[in-house]
Amino acid sequence: MAMTQERTQISLLRRDRQLRPDLFLIIPYLILTGLGLVMIYSASAPRLEALGVSPTREVEQQAAFVLIGIMAFGIVSLIDTRIVRWWVPITYIASIGTLVMVLSPLGTVVKGAQRWIQFGPVRFQPAEIAKLAVILALAALLSAAARPMKWHRVVQAVALVALPSALIFLQPDLGTMLTFGFIAGVMIFVAGATWRQMAALIVAGIVGTVGVFQAGAIKAYQITRLTAFLDETGDVLGAQYNQYQSQIAIGTGGLFGKGLFQGTQTNLRFVPEQSSDFIFTAVGEQLGFVGSLLVIVLFGIIIWRVLVAAANARDRFGQLVATGIAALLGFHVFVNIGMTVRVMPVTGLPLPFMSSGGTVFVAMSVALGLAHSVWMRRSPLPGEIQSEAP
Amino acid sequence: MNGTWRLAGVGLILAAMLGVLGLRLWAIQVTETDEYTAVAERNLIRVVPTPAPRGDIFDRNGELLAGTETSLAAVVDMGLVEDDFAAELAQRLSAFVGDPEQTAGVILERFEKANSGAQIIIAKDLTEQQALTLIEHREDFPGVAVIPQPVRSYPLGDLAAQVLGYIGKPSKADLERPEVKGTDVVGKAGVERSYDGALRGTEGIIKYQVDANRSVLQSLGEQEAAPGDNLILTIDSGVQAQLQESLKAGLELSRDLEMAQRREALAQDSIPTRLFLAREAAQLEAERAQIKADAAVAAAAADPENDGLAAEAEEAVAAAEEAAGSVEIDEGDVLGSLYPGLPIDQNGVCVPIQRIDLDVGSATVLSGVKERMMKLHSVREDRSQRIALVEVDGERFEVEKGDRFATTLRVMAVDSDGIVVSHSDTWCPVRSVGVVENPKDGSIIAMASYPSFEPSAFVNGLTQAQWESLGTINAFTNFAIQGQYAPASTFKAISYVLALEEGIYPMDRPVDDRLVDEGNKPAGGETPPSGEDGGNGSTTTTTLAPDALKPLTSDTDLYNCTGSLRFEFNDGSSQVYRDWKRNGHGPLDLHGALQASCDLYFWEIALRIWNERSDENGINNEDLWQQWARSFGFGTETGIDLPFEKPGLIPDRQWFREEQRKETGRVRANGPWVGGDLMNAVVGQGTVLVTPLQLANGFSAMINGGTLWKPRVVQELVDQSGETVDENPKTVLATIDLSPGTSPALRRDMQMVVNGPIGTARKAFANFGPNVSTVGGKTGTAEIIKAVEDVQEVDTAWFVGIAPVLSPDYVVTVVVERGGSGGRVAAPVARQVLQYLVNGEDAVTPIVAGAEAD
Repeated sequence: MAMTQERTQISLLRRDRQLRPDLFLIIPYLILTGLGLVMIYSASAPRLEALGVSPTREVEQQAAFVLIGIMAFGIVSLIDTRIVRWWVPITYIASIGTLVMVLSPLGTVVKGAQRWIQFGPVRFQPAEIAKLAVILALAALLSAAARPMKWHRVVQAVALVALPSALIFLQPDLGTMLTFGFIAGVMIFVAGATWRQMAALIVAGIVGTVGVFQAGAIKAYQITRLTAFLDETGDVLGAQYNQYQSQIAIGTGGLFGKGLFQGTQTNLRFVPEQSSDFIFTAVGEQLGFVGSLLVIVLFGIIIWRVLVAAANARDRFGQLVATGIAALLGFHVFVNIGMTVRVMPVTGLPLPFMSSGGTVFVAMSVALGLAHSVWMRRSPLPGEIQSEAP
Repeated sequence: MNGTWRLAGVGLILAAMLGVLGLRLWAIQVTETDEYTAVAERNLIRVVPTPAPRGDIFDRNGELLAGTETSLAAVVDMGLVEDDFAAELAQRLSAFVGDPEQTAGVILERFEKANSGAQIIIAKDLTEQQALTLIEHREDFPGVAVIPQPVRSYPLGDLAAQVLGYIGKPSKADLERPEVKGTDVVGKAGVERSYDGALRGTEGIIKYQVDANRSVLQSLGEQEAAPGDNLILTIDSGVQAQLQESLKAGLELSRDLEMAQRREALAQDSIPTRLFLAREAAQLEAERAQIKADAAVAAAAADPENDGLAAEAEEAVAAAEEAAGSVEIDEGDVLGSLYPGLPIDQNGVCVPIQRIDLDVGSATVLSGVKERMMKLHSVREDRSQRIALVEVDGERFEVEKGDRFATTLRVMAVDSDGIVVSHSDTWCPVRSVGVVENPKDGSIIAMASYPSFEPSAFVNGLTQAQWESLGTINAFTNFAIQGQYAPASTFKAISYVLALEEGIYPMDRPVDDRLVDEGNKPAGGETPPSGEDGGNGSTTTTTLAPDALKPLTSDTDLYNCTGSLRFEFNDGSSQVYRDWKRNGHGPLDLHGALQASCDLYFWEIALRIWNERSDENGINNEDLWQQWARSFGFGTETGIDLPFEKPGLIPDRQWFREEQRKETGRVRANGPWVGGDLMNAVVGQGTVLVTPLQLANGFSAMINGGTLWKPRVVQELVDQSGETVDENPKTVLATIDLSPGTSPALRRDMQMVVNGPIGTARKAFANFGPNVSTVGGKTGTAEIIKAVEDVQEVDTAWFVGIAPVLSPDYVVTVVVERGGSGGRVAAPVARQVLQYLVNGEDAVTPIVAGAEAD
């Protein structure tokens, strides 16, 4: 975008108007969040009731995180991404630090994977935060990239992602690793990589994945879990149990669903992890195809708005941040819902804004806030010099 | 901004990804929703079968014979056991059960083999304390539940065990019944088997709504189990107990008698009288085994689907191989013992041992019978012949090829090549069998064979050793319906009835016609070996002068029994036959002949049937005797309501030919059916076979005026409230048209067998006490004709008793297998049972041997 004299003369009075929020983004975000709370309640209440505790306990916890998350969304929306940019080295290093910490004795093992860190009463998943840190770091690195991109820049970007990936891999958390790969691919592409560079990246990705498998670095159960969804006749009580039950639950929903709180499959706990990873199952069963489609459309709108923000970003850093966030959201939605309907393997990626879990909700809200911030500052303010990175 | 097209590309990719999800959701939720709904419903509902209590079994007086008790079992629901906890749980359960066989490893292995959702029984018969422990510490034993389990109980122990039968896991054949599941128990023998359908009832179901952990949320409805019907047997447990006790006593008596006889023989050094041509015997036995094996193999080949036949064939082949094989021995080997004991197993049951290992060199096999050990000392050459030196307790005997020894364990022979040929001990009294039937309606009041078993042993499972031990002595087999024996002189009753009904009596033989026939010994296999084999070489024989003979015409005409007789058949051959009583019974009529069990009299009847009617074309009614025998139910199953009944056998010309053609080894290989065969048959010898039940039932018909009942052990089926569900009424199989005097005459003569001066059971009933005159009977001594005729085999002892004579309510049949003389061994057993029936429980006197009589 060329710098014009006109822009520098914009009236100071118009400044407020230029901070207009994107309701197309905020409203779907709030709908999905609310729906998520309802779904968490429907999926958790019977179990909690059976345990003899308050049926609203889980949803209350989540609601607290939702409040924090929405506040975080608002605050981050108001922060200029260029200010954020100064913090990138710190967030990146801090994030690497927490990833190392999670592997240390400070980390907590849950279901065979070391994914949590406990700070007093607060327990959080560094991986969710690392996703944001990686997006910011990549954006910072790639916003300085020449067009067409130089090979060394590609290598730098890959190296930037490889470090947290390796740490994540040790947890192990394959879902997050794949997310890094997808985000990096999308961001490098948008930052102006050549077709040749993209092809090299894809080939390297495939070779790397195969290599990891060949080297036996991935445990047998992970392979089983990753490949089980391909097996139509397999052991529905074993490796495939979760997905099979989830698929049944969604299948029984039909066109309009069984109605809210009528989900026998989710309520009777045939579907495990129903309020976190498999929350979409509750949607599918209770609200049917119509409700499921609504959720997908709402996600589609959000992703569209984030991409629009990227297209209108004032600088390359903002553009790449928004792009990374669109990739993050899209990948999560696809892998998570795909898992519940058996088109993707079980990887443990939560559904943004809906799955129960504090860290992920807050992290996703912050991410969305960053994208929103990019949108709100899509044109330069008076007195500002629109600058293009060298 | 530059590069917007790249963002658009990213948007397209992400949109495509969401599109894929939408399509997939459409497929699952709209197109295939019905399939998922069906699966989900199965997911939600768990159908739990509730076992139907098995019906109880009572005797005719309402005494409980088989009931169902509840025992508490620890059951693991595999659906609730987490994989990573299985090993720990196995460890805890093993410690909890405390059974050295149920180690943690064993339990874990069972876990691993089980499907998720399977229920594994870890321990049965929990004590209340154990059950409470499990329930109270449920969190320590996740997935383990205490479940009440029905357990069959038999409060009276082994009473009527073979009639009741036992229950067990279903076989392949059982599983073909639609109502039987693999986890069920089914009746395997006895009424438990024949009435399994009524006893088992109908399983109920409870439908539960469950969650993913299969935890029950609520009951969706229940279809109650319909308990099985109760059986009321015709068995009287008091009579049954007495019969079992007497059978046991009778077998012990016959064993004591045999022991005494052996000791006596040993004292007189007359053991060699029992030696026989072992080599021939072994050869013959091998040939027979081979024939049997070939037949079995052919049968199996004809019906390859039948596993049972294949197994039989395999067994037969193995037996043939064993029979064909000889045992090589070395110097110093222990061959056996001359101690005149009987091999007795730990149950106190006499077991003929089929196999011993000769290379033991010590007393392992011969434990307990170490006296008079026999060893092979050495083998030397003497003019191209090898002679073995055998040492018996220090004394040495030279043994040449073909010499034989009798041993406790078996008859053993050594040829001078150092080869031992063996034969099992056939003197060992192995079994006693008895049936008490009501001749007025065919109901079975008592039925038993000894040795027996405790049906409750099956409830907790038999050990392999127990199973084998009981299996070797056939304790599970109901010999009253499955044992087939030569009926011997008891069968004279058939010819007796035939004589009265058909008017066929012996030829009149003037006393003058008697000739002295010195040393004309019978030869070949056609002569039944006589019961008494004394050393007296001179016997009295009557030769026939056919022209001068006229048949007697009445049952009271006297016939002069001279002890032996040269019979001349219409084909020109002749044969000398000897009565069991060497010097004859003197002049007697039909009634005397039955009372004294005169062989000659009944042979004469057979001879007349043969000479006047024998006819290969069958127009002369040659098989008159067989017709009479069959009319009383012999040769076919009686149809009693018990499984595995055997038909017995009434031989005739046609059967004889068929056996020859099939080369079954049961008849001579060559020659036609001859008069001698018929003569053997009329005295219940040769190839005639009956079951003890058939004999009881046949006698019932002969003494009740000719009504042949279908015997039954179950009277009726009642439901749990005692209402009759189904009756098993008395059923007439056939009515035999007898003259009014026939049955009373038979009963009177049977009374005289017990009470009369010449009666063969007189001595056995001497201490009967009051009312002995209301008791009648008939003795029988079957001579088992084995391969080699010059060896005396121990006889099968029979007695058929009736009471009261004027209008009998009881027919008591007793057989002691390899027991010796009927009058001596079987009659005292029946005497005890009849004492119980006639004079009551307190009147039963201890068992003593009766007289040696046919």
